[in-house]
Amino acid sequence: MSLRRKLKPWCWCVPAVLLILIIIVFPIIYTGYISLTNMNLYHWQDYEVIGLGNYARALFKFDSGFLSALGTTLLWTVLNMVIQLALGFLIALGLNAPKLKLSRLYKTLLMVPWAMPAYISILLWRVGMFNTELGLLNKWITALGFEKVDFLATNGIAFVSCLVLNLWMALPFMISTIDGALQSVDRSLYESATLDGAGFWTRTWKITIPSIRPVIAPAAVMTTFITFKQFDIIYLLTQQRGYMTGATLNTVITYVHQNAFVSNNYGLSSAVSMLLFVIIIIFSLATNRSLRED
Amino acid sequence: MKKFLAILLSALMLMTLLAACGTSDEPSGESAAPASEAPESETPAEPVELTVWHDNDEALMQAMADAANAKLEGTGVTLTFEKRTGLSDQLKLYGGDAANGPDMYLWAHDSLGTFVAMDILEPLTNLIDESVLADDLPLTVEAGQIDGTQYLLPVYFETLLFLYNKDLWQGDIPATTEELYEYMVANTDTAAGTYAVVNQHSTSYNVSPFINGFGGYILDDEGNPGLNDPKTIEAVEYNKKFADLEADGDYNTVTTLFNEGKAQAIIGGPWLVAGIRAAGIDLGVASLSDMTLPNGEPLAPFSGVQGIGVMKVAAETKGDAIALALEALASPEVGVALAKAGGCAPANSLSYDDPDVAADEIIAAIERTADTAQPMPNAAEMNVMWGPVDSMLAAVNKNGQDAASAAEEAQAAALQAIADMQ
Repeated sequence: MSLRRKLKPWCWCVPAVLLILIIIVFPIIYTGYISLTNMNLYHWQDYEVIGLGNYARALFKFDSGFLSALGTTLLWTVLNMVIQLALGFLIALGLNAPKLKLSRLYKTLLMVPWAMPAYISILLWRVGMFNTELGLLNKWITALGFEKVDFLATNGIAFVSCLVLNLWMALPFMISTIDGALQSVDRSLYESATLDGAGFWTRTWKITIPSIRPVIAPAAVMTTFITFKQFDIIYLLTQQRGYMTGATLNTVITYVHQNAFVSNNYGLSSAVSMLLFVIIIIFSLATNRSLRED
Repeated sequence: MKKFLAILLSALMLMTLLAACGTSDEPSGESAAPASEAPESETPAEPVELTVWHDNDEALMQAMADAANAKLEGTGVTLTFEKRTGLSDQLKLYGGDAANGPDMYLWAHDSLGTFVAMDILEPLTNLIDESVLADDLPLTVEAGQIDGTQYLLPVYFETLLFLYNKDLWQGDIPATTEELYEYMVANTDTAAGTYAVVNQHSTSYNVSPFINGFGGYILDDEGNPGLNDPKTIEAVEYNKKFADLEADGDYNTVTTLFNEGKAQAIIGGPWLVAGIRAAGIDLGVASLSDMTLPNGEPLAPFSGVQGIGVMKVAAETKGDAIALALEALASPEVGVALAKAGGCAPANSLSYDDPDVAADEIIAAIERTADTAQPMPNAAEMNVMWGPVDSMLAAVNKNGQDAASAAEEAQAAALQAIADMQ
């Protein structure tokens, strides 16, 4: 009987565990295996295990270029997180203003960027917003009598353009999370605080933020990782083959892609991936720990 | 209720899991069956359906399939063309897979070296006699060879052309690039967004007329990159002054500008023609070979040959059927069908005897350009060259980097990428 009892929860978990094994654990192990082989164009089907040679070569990919990409990535992650949390909080507060009409409509509309496939959003922004000839921004700029601006040509302005697009795409998630958290705060707390003479800012600092923090923390951690390992926005806006814009902006992932994934040497790129995987794991452990200490 | 929902969701999850297994199994069963049953005789007794993967216009491929199947009537062999987006990656996954992969593929010749290095292609001469290719234009036949072995059956070829809007262009088409530049300076207003000529000025393929014309090169016959060759640098610098007057060089931008009548001319391939005609533009066409550079040499664009390759795993079991199909695909009728359906310049010289093909000015311009065009390099190394060259062009044209330093960086990146292949 007790055995059955012990087994039962495992049985319930089996489908989920299987799924995780198939789509998450297996690819990692397989990448680890490929990283030990000489699988490349010249040994496509007859590849064999060659040991740690690929790792020795992969270490050279983590050079000064990688360090500068790491710097960009950290700046990118920090800026994105700070702005997302601040803006997300303010917008969610606005949406929760008691006398706001049509708040459901605004919430639905705010979800649109999130619901759209990233690839389509990015291409739409590249052509529809940032393009020098067809983009909305340049139409406005020239209508006002200024010279056209190439929003993606140099690193500084390309970074800001990518940041704006990422905010547009990622804010809905933050807003909806904070919005949900805000709604779970007990209204009576605000009422008694108001009776005690607390103003808007005091209520926000003393009641709202402490109450929603436990809910927002996991969302913030998740978003931090998504932002850290960002690939699509920077790649599709500035580096896609045939559409390179001149900016040499790189995050760690785009840098590694540019340097290790274009040569069809799967052994080498798998070794680079495994090293990158270790770096991201260390980064995530550090973030988790600092969060717990908080 | 909750329990019911939980059971329902679990069942759904399991079903999707199983369904995923199901779909990957089905086609393998289907396509494996005829493979194992294919007889060894000259004319297969049992019907054999051959699959050709492509990443091309579907109507065009259908026209090709219809023409080839008409030739194959009575042999029991039929050809089916299937579109696969990202064909190059698809072939890396399925090229050696008899059950799920194609029997043949149609793709541009510059990736040939990659597939040969992967050892997934069968030399054509193991299946058909060389005489099958006898009527093909020499440029197209050579493009399908690696180290003297024929791997691709050329079907049609493309080069860049000078396409202009007859309603907007004033006077004759200039005979030199310097005259063209003068015309561009006089007729371009970047602030207003109207241009004389647009080109994808930061894309290697579209800058090839300058690079080759100046005597520079991207990759030589031995597979060595030549991005810091003085002549390549000279060409990139020369291209820069045109680039400043050619909008941002993005494919979408330049085609839209031309199709909306905001650019008088565009340097582009025959693949743009359908869109241009649909936009209602009175299209004129000139060959880039008729325009000379300051060094007296004509512009020399890359030519791309679209050809059929045979997968090694398919040749082992369906060799006879594939041989029949290749003979049909090499026929002038297929070339004529492609020319009529999509304005493609056939590889088979006999196709040009057809009055409609001979009268097509786009095809005539491509054929004319074949005089100076250089086939894209087809060595495996070519696969990693586009990235560094495009980066160099974008850095020079859009980011203001000087050509010599951009060339050194690109050359180093190219050498590293080539070293990484091994």
